[in-house]
Amino acid sequence: MNELRGWLLDIYPEAQVGAALWLIGEDGQRYHLRQPFPVTFYAAGRASTLRRLWRYLQSHPAQPVLKREERQDIFVKSMRTVLAIDVNDPVAQNALFQEIARAFPDLDYFDADVALPLRYAARHRLFPLAYCRVGVDANGQAQTVEPLDTPWDLSPAPPPLRILYMELDADPARNKPTRLSLRSGSFHGPATAEYHLDLDLERPLLINLKAILQRCDPDLLLTTWGDTWLLPHLLERSAALGLPLPLNRDPARQPAHHPEISYFSYGQMVHRGRQVHLFGRCHIDRGNAMMWEDYDLEGALETARVTGLPLQTAARVSPGSGISAMQMVTALREGILVPWHKQQAEQPKTALDLLATDQGGLVYQPLVGLHHDVGGIDFVSMYPGIMVRFNISPETVQGQRPCIQDLEPFASENDLPGLIPLTLAPLLEKRLALKNQLIDLPKWDPRRKIYQARASAHKWLLVTCFGYLGYKNARFGRIEAHEAVTAYGREALLRAKEAAEGLGFTVLHLYVDGLWVKKPDAKEPADFQPLLEEVCRRTGLPISLDGIYDWIAFLPSRVDARVPVANRYFGVFRDGTLKVRGIEARRRDAPPFIAKTQMEMVELLAQGHTPDERQAGVRKALGLLRRRLNRLRSGKTPLEELVVSQRLSREIEAYKSLSPVARSLQQLQAVGKEVRPGQRVRFVYTRGRPGVYAWDLPTPPDARTLDLERYAVLLLRAACTVLEPFGLNPQLIAGLAQNVQTQQLCFKLVPRNERQRREPAVRTAMTTRSRGVSERGTIPD
Amino acid sequence: MGRTLPSITQAFLQEQASFNRFRRALRQSDQRILDDLFASAHQHLAAAAYAAHPLPFETFLLAMLLEEHKRLMRLEALLNDLQGDDLSLEE
Repeated sequence: MNELRGWLLDIYPEAQVGAALWLIGEDGQRYHLRQPFPVTFYAAGRASTLRRLWRYLQSHPAQPVLKREERQDIFVKSMRTVLAIDVNDPVAQNALFQEIARAFPDLDYFDADVALPLRYAARHRLFPLAYCRVGVDANGQAQTVEPLDTPWDLSPAPPPLRILYMELDADPARNKPTRLSLRSGSFHGPATAEYHLDLDLERPLLINLKAILQRCDPDLLLTTWGDTWLLPHLLERSAALGLPLPLNRDPARQPAHHPEISYFSYGQMVHRGRQVHLFGRCHIDRGNAMMWEDYDLEGALETARVTGLPLQTAARVSPGSGISAMQMVTALREGILVPWHKQQAEQPKTALDLLATDQGGLVYQPLVGLHHDVGGIDFVSMYPGIMVRFNISPETVQGQRPCIQDLEPFASENDLPGLIPLTLAPLLEKRLALKNQLIDLPKWDPRRKIYQARASAHKWLLVTCFGYLGYKNARFGRIEAHEAVTAYGREALLRAKEAAEGLGFTVLHLYVDGLWVKKPDAKEPADFQPLLEEVCRRTGLPISLDGIYDWIAFLPSRVDARVPVANRYFGVFRDGTLKVRGIEARRRDAPPFIAKTQMEMVELLAQGHTPDERQAGVRKALGLLRRRLNRLRSGKTPLEELVVSQRLSREIEAYKSLSPVARSLQQLQAVGKEVRPGQRVRFVYTRGRPGVYAWDLPTPPDARTLDLERYAVLLLRAACTVLEPFGLNPQLIAGLAQNVQTQQLCFKLVPRNERQRREPAVRTAMTTRSRGVSERGTIPD
Repeated sequence: MGRTLPSITQAFLQEQASFNRFRRALRQSDQRILDDLFASAHQHLAAAAYAAHPLPFETFLLAMLLEEHKRLMRLEALLNDLQGDDLSLEE
C-alpha cells in the first residue's frame, strides 16, 4: 500500500463507489482517489408504518441492510425507536431516500439529506483543505485516511493552491465583454503567466483556453461574473462549436448549475445569482460569493475548514448555512439524529409569557450630542459566549426555567454541554486566540491580514448562530433557546450599566452588547480597568475596552430632532481611528461623491485634540464642503460618483407609488433588462420627468440633464449631519448655497428655544470665517 | 417581519395614533405641546421595552411624568440659584 500526504481539495459522491477525493499531494501531483462510503439514515414514526417500510425495503433492488435501533432525538427527551437503513454508497442512498419519502410521507426521516462532505467530516475528521495522510492501494482506492491537523489550528500549513484568475473587461449586465484576461499564480504568490483572449474569436478562444487549463492545471478558478455569465457562456459556446472545454478535472462529470434565487433575510431582500460548480477543481465567482467583501479568499478557506463545507459551497453560502453545517457535523459525531424536516412547532405560551419573553437585545436611546473622552466597552462575542457559558441549546432549554436574574446556566441531563455549546466552544476559543495574537502582532506583520480575514469569517458564523437558534426552519432551531439568549444578554447589559453607574460613570448609550460611558478624569485605559473587572465579576462574561474616543457624537432622528436614535453616531478613537455608523458615509445607497465628502469632513473634524485645533478642523471641513459644492455645481464631478445604488425590495408590480428606484427599473425593463428583488438598481437624478436615469441603460446619461440642485441638497444634508453636533446650524449650512432652503436640509422640528440657544455657539465658532458666510448663516428663516 | 408582538416602537406609534382624533381637536399651540409630551416618552422606549408591561401606555405616561418632573427639578434648581439660598421654594 502506498502512502500519500497532502491537502484535501474536493470531495463529492460517486455512484457505485462512495466518495471521490481530490488530493493536492505534497509532491505537487493531484490525485483522484476513490473510497467506499456506506451511508446510514433513519426513519421513525408509527410502528405499523415502519413495519410496512421494512417489508418494502426487504425486497428492494438497492438491498439496504435494515436494523432496529434506539437513537437520541434532540427534540424529544427520551430515546426514539428508529429503523436504520444502511446503503452502500451516497448516490444510491439519496435515490432510495427520495423514493421512500414519497412512498411513506408520514414518517420522520433523520440523517437523510446530509451532504457527503459533512458526513465525511463527521466520520473521518477530515475537512476541506485538511492536511492528511492517505493509504492508497494499487487500484487507486483510499484504504485509510488520517487527518494531520484540525480546523482549530491557528496557523495550519497553507495548501499550495494553483489559482487561475479570470477577469472580464466589462460588466456583462451592462455591456458585452470583449476580452478575457487570465493570470495564473499561487496563493499569496506572484503571477507566473498572463494571457489575454478575445471573446469574439470563439474558436481560438476555446482552443487557447483549453491549452491554458491543461498547462496550468489550476486547483481554483477565481473569476468575476464567472457564475452569472462567463462560465455558462463558455460552456454554451463549447457545446455549440463541438470543442470540449475541460473546466472540470474529473472528465466523467459535467459542471453543475444551480439557479439564481431571491429571498428575504434579516429584513432585506437578498439575491444570489446562478452558480457553476466544478468537480475536482473549485470555482469561485468573487461577485457571487456572499461575504467576499468582508473576508476574501483567506476567509472562504477558513469557512470551509471550520464548517466542513466544500470550498465552492463555503464561498457562496450564507454564514447561516455554515453554522448549520457545523451543527450537523457535531450531531452526527455525537450520535444525535439530524432531522430532515423539523416537526416541532413553538410550544404554546400565555400572552403574559409571550410579553415577557418575546424581546430582543436591550437597545437604549443615547444622550444626543457631542461627548468627549468616552470609553467604548464591548462584551466579547456576547451571544455565542452566552450560549456556551449558560449551556443554551434546543435540548437544554426544554421544560427548564433557570433563574436568569441570577445568571444560572441551563442544566444538561448527563452533565455534558448541549449540542450548540459543543459546536461553538472551539470556534469561540479560536476566535479569541486569534484576536489575542492580533494584539501582539506588529502592524507590518503579513500574518495580520490573514488573521483578520479568519477572525472575520468566525465572526459571521458566530453572529448567525444566534439567528439560526430562533429560526423555525433551522434544523436545530428552537425559539425558546433564542429567547433565553436575549434574556441573558439583557441581564448582562443591565448589570454592566449598574456596575458603571456604581463606579460613578455616566452611561451615554447601551447597545445590545456594548456600552459607552464617561466620567470626569477618566481618560486613560487604566481608568476604565476597574469597570471592566467589575462587569466581568458581575456577569461572568469577558468584556473588553474597544477604545477611548476623543469625542463621539450621537445623532438624533432625521425626522424629529427631539428623538434620539440608537445606531446613528460617529466618533474618533485616541489613535485616530474613526467609527462611523448609520450616516451617509456608511450607507451603500449614498452616491460615492456624497459619502466620500462626508467621510473626508469627519476626517477633518477628527484632527486635533485641543478645542482650538478642533475649531480649526470645523473650519477646514466647511472649506472642503464649499469646494465640493462649487465643483458639483460647475459640473466637474465625475458621473459615476453621482450614481445612487438602491436595493430593489420587491417586484415592480408591488410598488404602490413609483419611487426613483422603481422608475429606473421601468427604464431597464423597457430595454429588456431584468433586475430581481434583492439586486441593486443604479441610477442618477435628472431634471424634469421622470427624474431619474438608470445607470445600466445601453447609452450613458447626458451630463447636462443631471439634477445638480438635488445633489447639492443631498450633499448639504450629509454635511449638516456631521457639522450640527459641532454647533453649526442648518441655516448656516444652507447659506452656503443659494436656492437651498433650510427646511430642505432638516425635516426636523427643532424647538424654537433650542434654535436660539444654539446660535451664539455658531457665532463663536464662526468668528474667523469669511463674513459673507457667517452673516448669511445667521439670517433668521 | 415575523413578529408575534409589536415592537415597543410600534406599540408606541399605535398608542400615539390612537389619540389622533383628540390631537386634531386641540388648538395648534396645544398640539405642539402634546407632541412634546410624546417625544419625551419616546426617550424611555428602551426601559419600556424591558419592563414589558401589558398596558404599555401606563409606562409611557409614567415616562412623560418622569421627564416633566426632571424639568421641574431643573427649573427649581435654577430658581434657587437665581434667588439665592435665603429664598427657598418650600416657604
